Amino acid sequence: MSIAKPLLDYAKSLKPQKGFAQSFSSFKRLLQYHRRYPWHVASIVVLAVVRSILFSLEPLYTSLIIINVIGSPPTVPSNTSLLPGYLLVIILAGIGYAITNFILTYVHGVMSQYIVRDIRSEYYRSLQAKSFSFYDSVGVGDLTSRATVDLQLVDMFLRTWLGTVLNAVFTTIIIIAIILPISPTMTLISMAMMPLIFYFTTRLWIDTMPLFRNMQLIMGRLTSYIQQNIIGMKTVRIFRQEKDVVDGFKMVEDVYVNTAISAGKIQSIYMPLGPALLTLGATLVYVYAGVTLGVPYSALAVQQIGYLILFVRYMLRLTFPIRDASQTLGTWIAAYAGLERVQAMIDVPRSVEDLPNARDVVIEKGKLELENVTFGYVKDRPVLNNVTFTVQPGEKIAILGATGSGKSSLIYLIPRFYDIQAGSIRIDGTDIREFKLASLRRQIGVVLQDVFLFSGTMRENIAFGKPDASMDEIVQAAKSARIHDFIESLPFGYDTPVGERGVTLSGGQKQRITIARALVANPRMLIMDDSLSFVDAKTEQEIQSAIEEATRARTTLIIAQRFTTIKTAKKILVLENGSVAEFGTHDELMARDGLYKRVYETQFVQKASLITEEAGGS
Amino acid sequence: MSGSYGTFSTKEEERRKRTVRDSVLIRRVYEYAQANKRNLQIGVAATIAGAFTGLAAPYMHAIAIDSIITPKNLSGFIWWIPLFVTIILGNYLFQYIQTYQMRIVGEKLVAKMRDDMMEKLQVISLKYFSEGEAGRIISRPTNDANTVRIFIRVGLTSILVDISSILGAFAIMFYLDLRLSLLAITVLPVALLLVWFLGKYSRAAYRRTLITTSGLTARLQEDLAGIKVTQAYAQEKETEKKFLRSQEENVKATIRAILIGSSYTPFVMALRLIGTMIILFFGVNALLASPPTITLGILVAFIEYQFSYFMPLVDLVTMYDQYQSTMSAIERMFDVIDTKVEVVDAPPERSITIQ
Repeated sequence: MSIAKPLLDYAKSLKPQKGFAQSFSSFKRLLQYHRRYPWHVASIVVLAVVRSILFSLEPLYTSLIIINVIGSPPTVPSNTSLLPGYLLVIILAGIGYAITNFILTYVHGVMSQYIVRDIRSEYYRSLQAKSFSFYDSVGVGDLTSRATVDLQLVDMFLRTWLGTVLNAVFTTIIIIAIILPISPTMTLISMAMMPLIFYFTTRLWIDTMPLFRNMQLIMGRLTSYIQQNIIGMKTVRIFRQEKDVVDGFKMVEDVYVNTAISAGKIQSIYMPLGPALLTLGATLVYVYAGVTLGVPYSALAVQQIGYLILFVRYMLRLTFPIRDASQTLGTWIAAYAGLERVQAMIDVPRSVEDLPNARDVVIEKGKLELENVTFGYVKDRPVLNNVTFTVQPGEKIAILGATGSGKSSLIYLIPRFYDIQAGSIRIDGTDIREFKLASLRRQIGVVLQDVFLFSGTMRENIAFGKPDASMDEIVQAAKSARIHDFIESLPFGYDTPVGERGVTLSGGQKQRITIARALVANPRMLIMDDSLSFVDAKTEQEIQSAIEEATRARTTLIIAQRFTTIKTAKKILVLENGSVAEFGTHDELMARDGLYKRVYETQFVQKASLITEEAGGS
Repeated sequence: MSGSYGTFSTKEEERRKRTVRDSVLIRRVYEYAQANKRNLQIGVAATIAGAFTGLAAPYMHAIAIDSIITPKNLSGFIWWIPLFVTIILGNYLFQYIQTYQMRIVGEKLVAKMRDDMMEKLQVISLKYFSEGEAGRIISRPTNDANTVRIFIRVGLTSILVDISSILGAFAIMFYLDLRLSLLAITVLPVALLLVWFLGKYSRAAYRRTLITTSGLTARLQEDLAGIKVTQAYAQEKETEKKFLRSQEENVKATIRAILIGSSYTPFVMALRLIGTMIILFFGVNALLASPPTITLGILVAFIEYQFSYFMPLVDLVTMYDQYQSTMSAIERMFDVIDTKVEVVDAPPERSITIQ
C-alpha cells in the first residue's frame, strides 16, 4: 500500500472544479490549429450547408406527395402524374446527401489527423527542449500517455465537431425557414422544446466536465504507475513488493471507477432527455392539429394532415443533429481534459536555452575553469556553493563525495544540463553560456549514470552522437571502450540489434557501449558518472580498463567509485555539502591528513585488497 | 507461436492475425461481467425495453392520423395522450436505467481485467520485461483497456439498442402490412452484402492503424526514456526526424481507414432511399386503389419505420470497426492474463529462510 499512497492521496484530493474559462481558452487554442487548414475548413462549411439542405428536402416532398398526389378523393382529386417528379427529387436529394456526407466526413477526418499531428509534433518538440530538471520531476509514462491516450480523445472530438455543430445550426435554420411560413403557431409549438433541450445539454456539460477531467488526471498517473512497475519489475521482485503494487493499484483504480460511475449517473439522467422532450413536442403538434382541423375529408384537412406530417417529421429529423451536437459536447468534455494536459506540458518554460549572442565555439584545448559557482534545483536552496577550481587541458579529475554532496549536479553543469545561479564556468576562457547549446554538448562526451541504449543496432547506438561517423571511427571508439571484441563475436557484429529480438546485454557491456558512444566524436572533454557499483570483479576490471583508455589525454571529470580510477586521476576533488573540501593530487591530499585520507583508508584500502584477492583467484 | 516467451512484446506478434474466436473472447468477458450480474441483467432488460418503447412513436402517430384526426374524432385523444405520454416517460426511464447500469458493468469489468493483468505482470517471468519496447506491454493495461471501456460504454448498448430497434421495426411493419413490408426489405440483403464486403477492407485498414499507433507509442516511450542521452549529444533533430516519420506513417494509415470507413454511409444511404421510394411508390398506389388497401397513417408509419431500421443498421456497420478493435484489445489483454507463470513461488510452509 505504501507504494501507491501518494497516488491515492492525489486521486482523492481531486475536487470537481468548474473550469469554464479554461475550457474556452483551451478551445480557442485548438481553433488556432485549424487556421493552418483554411481550405479544409472552408470545404467543411460549404459541404455542411449543402448537406443540411439536402437532408431537409425529403420530408417536404413526402408531404407534397400526400397533399398533391394522394389528395382526398372524392373532394380533392388525386394526381398521380406528379409522383415520378417528386420521387426523383427525393432520390436525387438523397444521393446528393450521401455524396456530400462522404466527402465531408473524409475531409473532416483528414483535417483532424493533420491537427492531431501538429499538436503532437509541437508537444514532442517542446519536450525535446525541456531541461533535465523537468524530467527529474515528470514520469515518462505520464508524458507518453498525454501524447497518446489524451490526444486520442482530442482526435475523437476533432473528427466531427465542426461538421456536427454546423449541421445542428444549419439544419435548424433551414427547417424553421421551411415550416415557419406554413404555420407560425405550429412552428412555435414544435420548437417549444428546443430551449429546454439546449438547457439540459448544457447542464450535462457543466456537471460532467470536471469529473471527466479528474478521470483523465487519475488515468495519466495510473499509466505512469503501471509503467514504473513494468520498467522496475526487477526491483519490485527483489524487494517483494508485488502485493503492495497491486493492492495500491486497485485502490486508485477504485477511485477512478467511482468517478466514472458518478459521471455515468449524470449522463444517464440528462442524455435521454432530449429525444424524450422532442417526442413530447411532436405529441403537442398532433393534438394541436387534431383540435384545429377543419371538416374531415376537405381540401383543407388533407393539406393540414400533410403539413402535420411535415412538422412532425421535421421535428424528428432535428433529433439527429441535436443528438450529435450533444454527443460532440460530450466528446469535447473528454477532449478538453486531454488537451489541457498536453497544453500544460507545452507551456512549461524551458529553463536552459541559447542566449541571443550564442555562437559555435570550437574547444581547442579543453581547459575548464569554475569560479564561485553556485547552483540549486530550487532557488535559495543551493546544492553547490561557491565552487572554484581549474582543470588543465587533458587532466583527469576524480570527484568524490557522499550521496547528496552535489557530485552529479557539479558535472552536469558543464554541458549545461542545468544552469548555474551565480559564478561562471569557462572552457578555454569562453563562458559556456556563450556557446550554442548544441555546439557545447557535441564537444563534450557524456556517460550518464543511467546506462540507456536505444533500440537499434550496436553501430547505431555507438554512432548516436555522430550519425555520420565512419565505420573506422565507430570501431576505434568501440576498441577504446573495450567492447569491440565482444561485438565482433556476435553473429551480426556491429549490425546486431540491441534489446528485444536482439542480444541481451549485461550492465557492464551496456556501460562500455555508452562509453564508446561518448568517444565516437573524439571529444576534447569527457564527463562520466561512473556509479555502477554492483558488478563482479571481472566486469570491474573491464570497465576500469575502458575508462583508462577513454580518459587518456582528455579533460575529464569523473564521479568515481573505484579505487583504481581515483589512483590514476591527476587530481582529486572532494565535495562536502556542496563545497570543495579538498582539491589536489593523491599525494597532496594524503599529506593533508583530511577527509580524503580518512575515506581512502577506511574504504579503498579494504576494497582494493578484496579486489586483488578475487582477481588473483579467478 | 514464435517462441516460448515474449508473446506480447514483439512487433511481429503485434502484427499477427487474431487467433482466438470472438465467441471464446465474449464468453470470457461475460464471465468477468458475472461479478455484476444483476446490473447486467437490469441493464440489458432496460436496453431492450427502451428500444421497443422508442419504436412506439410512429405507430401512435399512425393511430392518431387514422382514427382521431382524419375522422375528426377528437375524443380519442382522451386515451391517446396519456398512453403516449406514459410510453415516452417509460422510454426515458428505461434509457436512464440502461445508461447507468451498463456504465457500472463496463467500468467494473474493465477494472477487474486490468487488476488481473497487473497481478499477472507481477508474477510472470522477468524475461518479458527484459529489453526495450516496454510501451507495447504498457499499452495493454492502458490503451487496450481504454478501448474496451469505451466500447462497453457506447458500443455495446448501441448494438443492443440497434438490434432491438431493427427487429422491433420489422415486427411492427409486418403486423401493419405484409406486402409493403416484404417490398420494403428487398434492399436489406443487398445492404448486408455490401456491409460485409466493405467491412473486410475496413478491418484491414483499421488493424494497420492500430499497429502504427502502437509503434508510435513505443517510439515516444523510448525517445522520452532516452531524452537525457539525446540532449547530452544534442541529437534532438535526428530523433525528431525519426519520430515524425513514425507519426506520418500513423497519419497515413488513419486517413486511409477514415476513407474506407466513411465510404460505407453513402452506399447504405442510397439503399435506404431506394427503400423509401419503393414504399412511396407502392404505398401511394395502394392508397389510391379502390378500395384502398392501406391507410394514410400506415403509409406514414412505414416511412418512419424504414428510417428507424436503416439508421440503426448504419450505426451497426460503423460499430463493427469498434467491435473488431475491441476484440483485438480483449485478446491482447487475455494474452497477459493467460501467460504461464514459469517461476512459481514455493508455498509458505515449504519456503526456506536463509539464516
